[in-house]
Amino acid sequence: MSSKLPLVQGTLDLLVLGALSGGARHGYGIATVIEERTHGALDVEDGALYQALHRLDRDGLVEAEWRPSENNRRARYYALSTAGRRRLREEAVTWRRYSRAVEAVLQGA
Amino acid sequence: MDERERRERRRPFWYLRRKPEAVAAEVDEELEAHLAMRIEELRARGLSEAEARREALRRFGDLDAARAYCRDQDDGKEERMQRRLWLEDLRHDLRTCLRSLARAPLVSLTIVLKVGLGIGATTAIATAIHAVVLKPLPYPDADSLVRIYTDSPPNKFRFSVADFQALEAQQTQFERVAGYTERSVAWSDGATAEKLRARSVSWRYFGLLGLTPALGRDLIEADGKPGAPRTALVSHRFWTERLGGRADAVGGTVRFDGVPYTVVGVLPPRLGPLEHGIEVFTAAQWAPPPRKGPFFIITLGRLKAGAAQPAAEELRAINKRIFPLWQSSYADRRATWSMNDLKNEIVGESKTRAGLALGAVALVWLIACANASNLLVARVVSRRRELAVRSALGATRERVVRHLLAESALLAIAAAGAGAALAAAGTRLLRTFGEGYTPRAAEIGMGGGAVALLVLLAAASALLFGLAPAVHGTGGTAPSEALQGSGRTATVGLGARRLRRLLVATQFAVATPLLVVAGLLLASLQRLQRVDLGFDPRNLLGGSIYLPEAPYPEAGKVAAFWSELERRVAELPGVSGVAFADGRPPDDVGNFNNFDLEDSPTQPGGSEPVTPWLQVTPEYFRLLGVPLIEGRTFDERDGGTGSVEEAVVDRAWAKRFFPNGSAVGKRFHEGGCRECPWTRVVGVVGDVPYAGLAQPDEGSVYWPMPGRATKPNADSMVRFRYLLVRTKSNAGDLAPAIRRVLHELDPSLPISDLATQEDLVARSVQGTRSLSLLVGGLALAALLLSVIGIYGVMAYFVEQHAREVGIRLALGGSRGSVLGLIVGQGMRVAAAGVAVGLAAAFVATRLVASLLFGIGAADAPTFLAVGGLLTLAALLACLIPAARAAAVAPATVLRGD
Repeated sequence: MSSKLPLVQGTLDLLVLGALSGGARHGYGIATVIEERTHGALDVEDGALYQALHRLDRDGLVEAEWRPSENNRRARYYALSTAGRRRLREEAVTWRRYSRAVEAVLQGA
Repeated sequence: MDERERRERRRPFWYLRRKPEAVAAEVDEELEAHLAMRIEELRARGLSEAEARREALRRFGDLDAARAYCRDQDDGKEERMQRRLWLEDLRHDLRTCLRSLARAPLVSLTIVLKVGLGIGATTAIATAIHAVVLKPLPYPDADSLVRIYTDSPPNKFRFSVADFQALEAQQTQFERVAGYTERSVAWSDGATAEKLRARSVSWRYFGLLGLTPALGRDLIEADGKPGAPRTALVSHRFWTERLGGRADAVGGTVRFDGVPYTVVGVLPPRLGPLEHGIEVFTAAQWAPPPRKGPFFIITLGRLKAGAAQPAAEELRAINKRIFPLWQSSYADRRATWSMNDLKNEIVGESKTRAGLALGAVALVWLIACANASNLLVARVVSRRRELAVRSALGATRERVVRHLLAESALLAIAAAGAGAALAAAGTRLLRTFGEGYTPRAAEIGMGGGAVALLVLLAAASALLFGLAPAVHGTGGTAPSEALQGSGRTATVGLGARRLRRLLVATQFAVATPLLVVAGLLLASLQRLQRVDLGFDPRNLLGGSIYLPEAPYPEAGKVAAFWSELERRVAELPGVSGVAFADGRPPDDVGNFNNFDLEDSPTQPGGSEPVTPWLQVTPEYFRLLGVPLIEGRTFDERDGGTGSVEEAVVDRAWAKRFFPNGSAVGKRFHEGGCRECPWTRVVGVVGDVPYAGLAQPDEGSVYWPMPGRATKPNADSMVRFRYLLVRTKSNAGDLAPAIRRVLHELDPSLPISDLATQEDLVARSVQGTRSLSLLVGGLALAALLLSVIGIYGVMAYFVEQHAREVGIRLALGGSRGSVLGLIVGQGMRVAAAGVAVGLAAAFVATRLVASLLFGIGAADAPTFLAVGGLLTLAALLACLIPAARAAAVAPATVLRGD
């Protein structure tokens, strides 16, 4: 846990959108998904995560709704909006091309 | 269900307006929930409560910053949602309104056109008035500019050279003073000759007005010294069109009236209203005068800050100081020096006209709004069921009012669009049209002010014609009541009827003064056109010629030119007579002169009488057809030959100064010259107006101009003359021939203002005519609107009371009584409006008294005629629906229910 990777600039929004591709989740759930899928490799502060969520909500990329959680607590659930889904698709393509390009250079070294 | 309501149901509940506190609480709750879940997870892994909390907070990072950021984002979102909802509401309202307006296209169109006309015309005229009357003059610090004159009530005289030089030398309360005189100069490039409007200005003129040349230099003191090389500044137009727009034209020489002038500068393209149409500004060179007169200098001053009072006192003091110096040639002790705001001088005369025009259009706008309001009230009444359904379905009263107001707003916006188009066209028209009336017409244009006024008027219109029906349409009856009554029999509430009648009465009350003023103006116009000209204007052509000093230096040459011109013009086919004069009816007096009668000399210190003073050749009276009343006119002997000067006076003069006897044989000294020989009156002729048709004739004096047989000498040399030609047929046809004769004689001489007398007379009444027609047209519009208004109300009244009428008739009531009842209903309303209107007219006409001619402001026949006309029109408008009501077959109406 001591050697967490700092987040590459601008990737937090993509991570959040990606975490929501499976369905509606609350903030804590999103944090858990990111942690599980990356096996804790990324250093994502919970506070930054919420800031990203509210920013995405304001921009209409996610839709938020209060709902009872799995253990009957009132929680704010987020789901991708149509615009959010489109953004995720675009960003994912860009990210993959980007990382392939970086990879290609590194392999040539 | 309404589309909007459907959408509202779909809308998640938190999209309803949330308060900022609610937004903040929500963020807190969300973050709180997160921390709780995190702690729960950590505790499940075996951490103690305190450790778990510490770890959860560590993993969260900066809690306060995150909270603030989230709140901020949520507020932003909230705002955006509200905006979008508002826009959607608006779109929805507009759609509904458009649909409901489209259901009554005729009503909507009428309202848009009527109110649009009102808005547009009011904007156009207000814009013109702002530019011409209200706006400060376009000179820097224009408020400190004044015109200075000699005040000898009721006359205001210009300054003489003696006055001006004394003022310039002695004044201390003005930053600058300057003087100018109008002149016209002939300019020729060899091929054509052109008459240019020119101005001879003292060297401080441009500095005083804050004008700087675009090219070259301003005038300097040396330019104004008598005998210095002559210098001039030219207008931008003259420079580009006549001097080729070349920079080296500055410093070059241009000949005006044959005299060489050095062009020292070119003025900027835009000057002030005072310089309107002037092409050449020459440096005035005024030599110290031997006597006080003549008085020809228009004097301007720029006050030092706050010096208005001391300046006025100083003017009086300087006048008093120099009075003794000139006593031998000037005896008017009563006269003093005064000043007047320059803007007043320029716009003064147009103020009343402008006010009247604006008042008239504004009133028509008001009537249009009242009329529109009336139509809408009627529509609301007939839509009562629809509105009742709406409120029964849960629409709040505010919502219905809002809907109705939105309809009005939509109508007003459409009207504003129509009005904007009209105002744009109108201001263009007024600018062209105004050229002839005011030097400031060029400043008329649609600016930000006009747009603001348009918007304001549209908003006011919407409120004026929308509020009454909106408030009315929702008040009063409960929805259940309105729903129960079937549409046909439901009689309208008393309120609506009262409201509509009030609106109709208002229209009549507003239309009445408008019609009275229009009537008075049209009567003035008619009287003006019927003024006895005192001569025969048909087949009479005239134009003026000025002989410059350089090519015509001495009397012999001048006289030779005039007699040769007369001979050649007289020989033209179609010419039956030629005469010369230095003035021309009906608007050019030429000169005024003062005189002292032998029989009733002016007391020392008093002012001598002043009248128009025309110099004419002997043929003048016969040529114009001015009748000889007593004595004789001039013959070829007169005109600077004998030792006794001879004069002919007109009837008004004879009556004014010799009311009890003949004026023939009486003598006077003219021009304040006591040593000169007496001038003797030899004849009295009919009156001819020279100072405009509307001016009272105060008497004119004619003195002889050297004719053909006179021997030329320096005294009899007249450089400026009107050439007047009597023709056998249409006078205008001869203009080209006369130009040709003059061109053959001297191609460098232009002829100015060549026009037929009939045109001149028509031009003279043009101002009154256009104002009368404008106000008359507006009054007619007001009358029509009022009549339409009352017709609408009465037609509706009849429709609503068809059943009642049917019952009356069935019970044996006579058709006459029905007719009388209904007409009486309408006429009470109209008569009340007309009565109020006549009272208002009594006040209003006083304000325009100065525009009237030959008719009093409280002219009883006009008031009676207008009252009668309006009553008659109202009667007709009521009779049609009343007759229809009286004609119903009672059985049909009763069965039909």
